[in-house]
Amino acid sequence: MAEPGVADISLVDVSLRDGNQSLWGATGLRTAHIATIAPALGRAGFRALDFSSSTAMGVSVRTHREDPWALLRLVRAAIPDTLLQFIGTGFRFISWERAHPEVIALVYAALVRNGMDRFVVLDPTHDMDAARATAAIAKKAGAREVIGALTYTISAVHDDAFYAGIAAAYASCDDVDRAYIKDPAGILTAERARTLIPSIQAALRGKPLELHSHASLGLSPLTCLAAADLGVTALHVGCGALGNGTSLPQAEDLVANLRASGHAVDVDDRLLALVSRYFDRLAAAEGLPKGEHRGFDAAFMDHQLAGGVMSTTRRQLAELGLADRFGELMAEIARVRAELGYPIMVTPFPQMVIGQALANLLSEHAVGGARYDNVPDQVIRYVLGTFGKPTAPVEPWVLDRVLGRPRAAELADEPDPLDVAALRSRFGMRISDEELLLRFGMPAAEVDAMIAAGPAVTHYNPDTVPVLRLLRALGERPTARELTVRKPGFRLSLKDGGQ
Amino acid sequence: MTGQSAVNHSQALRRVLVANRGEIAVRVITTCRRLGIETVLTASDADAYSLPARLADQVIRIGPASATASYLNVDAVVGAAVAAGADAIHPGYGFLSENARLARACAAAGIVFIGPDARTLEAAGDKLAARAHATAAGLPVLPGGDIELAGGDIEHSDPRVIALAERIGYPVLVKAAGGGGGRGLRVVREPAELGHAVSVASAEAAAAFGDPRVYLERYVERGRHVEVQLLGDGQRVIHLGDRDCSVQRRYQKLIEEAPAPDLGSDLRERLRAAAVALGVHLGYRGAGTVEFLLDTARGEFCFLEVNARIQVEHPVTEAITGMDIVAEQLSIAEGRPLRLRQEDVTFAGHAIECRIIAEDPDRDFRPSPGTITRAVFPAATMYPGYGLVRGAADAAAGIGGSVRVDTHVQARSAVPAYYDSLLAKVIAHGGDRDGALAVLSGALDRCALDGVTTNVAMQRAIVADPEFRAGGVTTDYLARYLAGREDGGAGRG
Repeated sequence: MAEPGVADISLVDVSLRDGNQSLWGATGLRTAHIATIAPALGRAGFRALDFSSSTAMGVSVRTHREDPWALLRLVRAAIPDTLLQFIGTGFRFISWERAHPEVIALVYAALVRNGMDRFVVLDPTHDMDAARATAAIAKKAGAREVIGALTYTISAVHDDAFYAGIAAAYASCDDVDRAYIKDPAGILTAERARTLIPSIQAALRGKPLELHSHASLGLSPLTCLAAADLGVTALHVGCGALGNGTSLPQAEDLVANLRASGHAVDVDDRLLALVSRYFDRLAAAEGLPKGEHRGFDAAFMDHQLAGGVMSTTRRQLAELGLADRFGELMAEIARVRAELGYPIMVTPFPQMVIGQALANLLSEHAVGGARYDNVPDQVIRYVLGTFGKPTAPVEPWVLDRVLGRPRAAELADEPDPLDVAALRSRFGMRISDEELLLRFGMPAAEVDAMIAAGPAVTHYNPDTVPVLRLLRALGERPTARELTVRKPGFRLSLKDGGQ
Repeated sequence: MTGQSAVNHSQALRRVLVANRGEIAVRVITTCRRLGIETVLTASDADAYSLPARLADQVIRIGPASATASYLNVDAVVGAAVAAGADAIHPGYGFLSENARLARACAAAGIVFIGPDARTLEAAGDKLAARAHATAAGLPVLPGGDIELAGGDIEHSDPRVIALAERIGYPVLVKAAGGGGGRGLRVVREPAELGHAVSVASAEAAAAFGDPRVYLERYVERGRHVEVQLLGDGQRVIHLGDRDCSVQRRYQKLIEEAPAPDLGSDLRERLRAAAVALGVHLGYRGAGTVEFLLDTARGEFCFLEVNARIQVEHPVTEAITGMDIVAEQLSIAEGRPLRLRQEDVTFAGHAIECRIIAEDPDRDFRPSPGTITRAVFPAATMYPGYGLVRGAADAAAGIGGSVRVDTHVQARSAVPAYYDSLLAKVIAHGGDRDGALAVLSGALDRCALDGVTTNVAMQRAIVADPEFRAGGVTTDYLARYLAGREDGGAGRG
């Protein structure tokens, strides 16, 4: 670790949230995986850990049957010194439905109470009124740090002046402490960074700037070096198997490169290695893919899909028996994105654009079908302005096709979201705020199953996983009488000596 | 740190020197590793190849086998910490764990001593001072007094000492002011024995603690030894419940359990409150234990002493609370406030610990050093620091149970003659005391140690003994049990 005051670069680790989401579909890490490594992560010297999101909390309940609030508390107890970041995506919690502002205030209060202290303010349409409102709610709830996102995309409208305008809005908002360039598709080149970053820095008027650029195209390790030279003080990284690929740049490599270019980095190398090897061992034990170096792929510049979305889309196509149509779908995604006014490809918009592209693909192959025959509710809500004003106007003919549907009228008349009192009377007066919010965001059966499963296991050792798996498999085969393990220079033979 | 860092990592300990040996060295290293803290172990020549020496990130040889030349050498320990660039020293238990001179030397060298400050160590380590503090904090103490204050001469039988003993009432106990662990203790049943007992105890105390002062206290023949675990941050003190350590042989604890059985909620609450009151009075910072002698029949208790360090028997408390007391010590040493409020401490089930010792119960418990040729222990199903693990939660619900083994021995481990002969602690947790007993007896059955003689068979027999199983035995239990065994109870052991 650099001497106090000497380091000019600090790191924000994203392994637990964005790393897990980008590489392992948000489902790879359970409470035990996280709790086991949390103390070392907390001591490694990261400025902050990207820790949770409403999606991650939903996965805890749905996939792992584990209480996400308990996980937050457990990790906060293990990590007293490092900022723990929660990334919010506008006025919703777990489900895609728009939530009442009172409910969002309750969400933030509960997050702070359970240990989160750094909050990302992210409005996918760069609607600054919405961003300011969220920042105010977070600060009022007790957040120590609020960081505003500048979501990077390439389009006709998103030039340096556009981002400088957003940065100026963050600079003038007292509830926003710093900002970061969020590049979910990993399409920010070092060349563009050299004009973009100074424009943003000038507009931020002294508020620090961080860079979060995914490694999906192999560009970000170089972009990060350029950013460091330009005075960006915090870079987002992933550790070991949870770095590189569609995640953020791998921390150890980036630290070495930063030092080689004359920067001092604020991290404990011993613990960084320890944490990185832990994720490597975990990936191997659980059969999860390790982030690999990626080559440049120009197609990304058009569809601009984040890594996690990409892997989910491949899986969905395969499930529909359309695995061979991936290229066609990518082209359709780029087309739909343009028609819908270039929404930035961050949650919830990729899901929306892909949903529409997939619907179009299926319609075109149906007899007599045409594009926009089927339109998912999320797209209708987007066109209605539920998520804010689109960055550029929606193509007029698409606007007509979408709003001309009877469903559009129904959705336009959707009742206002329920406030906290209404949620209480629906879900119960005696349950905790935490449980109330889970029940608001998820089907009752999921929450009930989580509670029935009891407290989560908190201890994990990746090295014992293969042995335990073997023993479990043997237990399922009571007739097996002999076991032999053979590897070079080693042979273990067990025989049942029983009657 | 960059100037913009919102939090301060600098107080975090990065390298800790473990100034101990045996199972407690393994225990401290294990938690440090879990937390990502580097460890440096000081090892004597006899322990250079021990398990803790292989687990530590770095080992520093600090002297020959003799403890006075190695583990008890304050200058060597502090010198090793400075040389290794350690931020802190964890002293474990025994050796220098309650040594105020070490705490002062650490402060002078800019190293954190993981334990209470020197002032508290002096207040607690000096049994006479501790008695005075306990009285000041409103705790009942046994009738007793300071021989020097009584004007007596510790070298010879002195009428003033005899008068003090008369006032206390026989039998009296001669106790060392400077330390515990059974050394410098003598029971005196009549005036004629007093002078000799005082001389012998004083000589023993001088040899063990470098402090010849002894004092007198009423000897309670039949009481229960119950203690309360405390954590303090210098501002706030909480308790982690009680433990019963009444199964003792010559003041050496052999079996400990938590919670203390059959106390009744009123007595239990009074004990815990008394311990916390003393902790508050001392401005206690760190982990510590307040020991009491308990008369269950009368529902009364008296303060015995404060142990200003981690205890051998801390795992039973960890088993029922899901906490890692070593991690709490480290957190407090980092200057943090207590992470828990009293209401955050919850108790689940019952835990019992058996000490496995290299000694021969058939030869008056003579130590049995040597080389272990075979060491088999039950598989661990609970670990400190991972909360109330599933197993423990299941146990609390009345199903299953969990086992933990704290040990530093493996096949081919040496058991040097120079040190305490504790080999392992087998800890069992169950939904209730019967559940814990069932788990414990299964766990002890799985222990197989060859090469040295151990007390495993005796521990199995005690765990099967109806009187022990009934719960709430007094401190004279083990002597009676052993006498019964010698009187023809063949097969009992």
